[in-house]
Amino acid sequence: MKDVLLKKELFDGFVEALMNSYKVAAPTRRGDKSFAFDFITNPSEVCLDHIPTILPPKKYFLPQHETLLEYDTTEGQNMQAFVEIEPMVILGVHSCDIAGIQCLNHVFMDRPKDYHYQARHDKILLIGYECLRKCDQYASCGLMQTHTPTGGYDIFMTDMGDHYYFSINTFAGKGMVQLFEGFEPADTVAEKTLKKLRSDKKKLFKNETDVSLAEIPSIFEWGFDSHVWDRTAEKCLSCGNCTNVCPTCYCFDVNDEPELNLAKGRRVRVWDSCQNETFAIIAGGENFRPKRAQRTRHRFFRKFKYPVMRYGKFFCTGCGRCSRQCMASINLKETISNLKRSWGEI
Amino acid sequence: MSAPKVAFFDLACCEGCQLQVANLGEELLDLLGHIEVVEFRELMSEKWDGEYDLAIIEGSVTNEEAEEKVKEIRRRSKMVMAYGACAVNGGINGIKNKTPMEENGRIVYGDRFKDYPSMPTKAVGDIIEVDYIVPGCPIYPPEFLKVLKSALAGLEYVIPDHAVCVECRFNENECMYEKGINCMGPITRAGCNSWCLNNGNRCYGCRGLLSNPNIHGARDVMKKYDLDPDVILKSIDMYNAAAGGKDE
Repeated sequence: MKDVLLKKELFDGFVEALMNSYKVAAPTRRGDKSFAFDFITNPSEVCLDHIPTILPPKKYFLPQHETLLEYDTTEGQNMQAFVEIEPMVILGVHSCDIAGIQCLNHVFMDRPKDYHYQARHDKILLIGYECLRKCDQYASCGLMQTHTPTGGYDIFMTDMGDHYYFSINTFAGKGMVQLFEGFEPADTVAEKTLKKLRSDKKKLFKNETDVSLAEIPSIFEWGFDSHVWDRTAEKCLSCGNCTNVCPTCYCFDVNDEPELNLAKGRRVRVWDSCQNETFAIIAGGENFRPKRAQRTRHRFFRKFKYPVMRYGKFFCTGCGRCSRQCMASINLKETISNLKRSWGEI
Repeated sequence: MSAPKVAFFDLACCEGCQLQVANLGEELLDLLGHIEVVEFRELMSEKWDGEYDLAIIEGSVTNEEAEEKVKEIRRRSKMVMAYGACAVNGGINGIKNKTPMEENGRIVYGDRFKDYPSMPTKAVGDIIEVDYIVPGCPIYPPEFLKVLKSALAGLEYVIPDHAVCVECRFNENECMYEKGINCMGPITRAGCNSWCLNNGNRCYGCRGLLSNPNIHGARDVMKKYDLDPDVILKSIDMYNAAAGGKDE
């Protein structure tokens, strides 16, 4: 599909055009250094130059609290699946977060399909935004090679000085561009500039660690019994920040919430976390991971080993949120690096 | 089927949790359509001398009279709910357990303190078996309703045993520690939907500690942010002095 260019001064006009047809979510400022995706009411709220938001855009695909069905037991057991989603656009999604959504797609579109996820996924359009420099010291998109997009978006925007370059990837993306008249076709000069910019990026987004992507599988092959996990656990408060902010963590619990008449109610899915002590408790009171070290280890294995076995894919997007949000300074890059170094130690 | 008979009682407390119930607004009207309130001192003057389906107790036990009252309530109730920090873990009243009872008496009542016998603060659950708890100072109304519904349905209700941080992240608040402000969230039980944090306040730990908080780790975090852990961890006593906590 033919790519287009948009003069920066026309960007707000494009956002307004989007807002006329869709609910638009975009990164907005939450604090000095923190941002959050939120539905905007004015293009001026959009902060394209954001570091990764507190929660990734997964909250629109898999909300913190999501009603799955409504039930009524007044006569028999009546249940009605419940999906409430309006067509929406998420604007300004970094390539790491697009990679995160691609991971979730693997999980929820795999059989048996999760129809609630699918219904949301089908209503959400993604407009990515290219990082031209590293956001901060926590990110590891150089290691995970997620700094440049590899699909999974409808439109991807790149800052080219006085223009934005719009790479159009889907018909839905083309449809969004057609909502606004200010676009110009991207000429060969612009295409060349984009190529140059992407090749220059490789120098800026270098591997942030002394571990290469290729050796991660072997590190996690023998790293299960490493002492690194005990050291990590000493610091860990089990607050669950790392998993809640992770773009690829998707574990959830399901609760029934009755109304006061107790006959009617809703079944609600709520995010859960392997870091919570009660997460792995089963009937009878047995806990599969009662120790903090087992829980911190599990999180890393759920990023670097188990999904590789299941989907042939790392479930870390290098966004750095887990390290950025960790008040105890448990750093993902350092942990992998320490794990590598702990080879042979007990 | 007649509506379950529910009674509200209060011991040593500020009655703030009853106020939360009284302030439920439309939900209170809905609630009153499904239960029969037979005693509720803050709202009505009637008393009841029969059996309660559910007794809801606020406040902590700080003298023998209260201890007897609680036992009597248990005898007359099919189910008992302790609600509010005072009833659940002693709450603010627990602060007095840190000093000898005689000294407390002199501070409050002067030389005539022996006319006002008092004992170390206890949670309701320390005296009688409690079927349901709603922690918090004050209770978080949506949680109270959830627990109440479980009680009416005869189902178990488990208060979360994970950190307030979980709900604080759900609500996408900026972390207090990032702002250099100390916060009890990482070691306090969730269930309040990070109510204080959502309104710009820090967490004071009113819901009680996690069953297995990492206190050493929490100390390191406070030091990292240039906060004095000894002073800050003492502030846990504001609500939890009467409750023991283990550190593993």
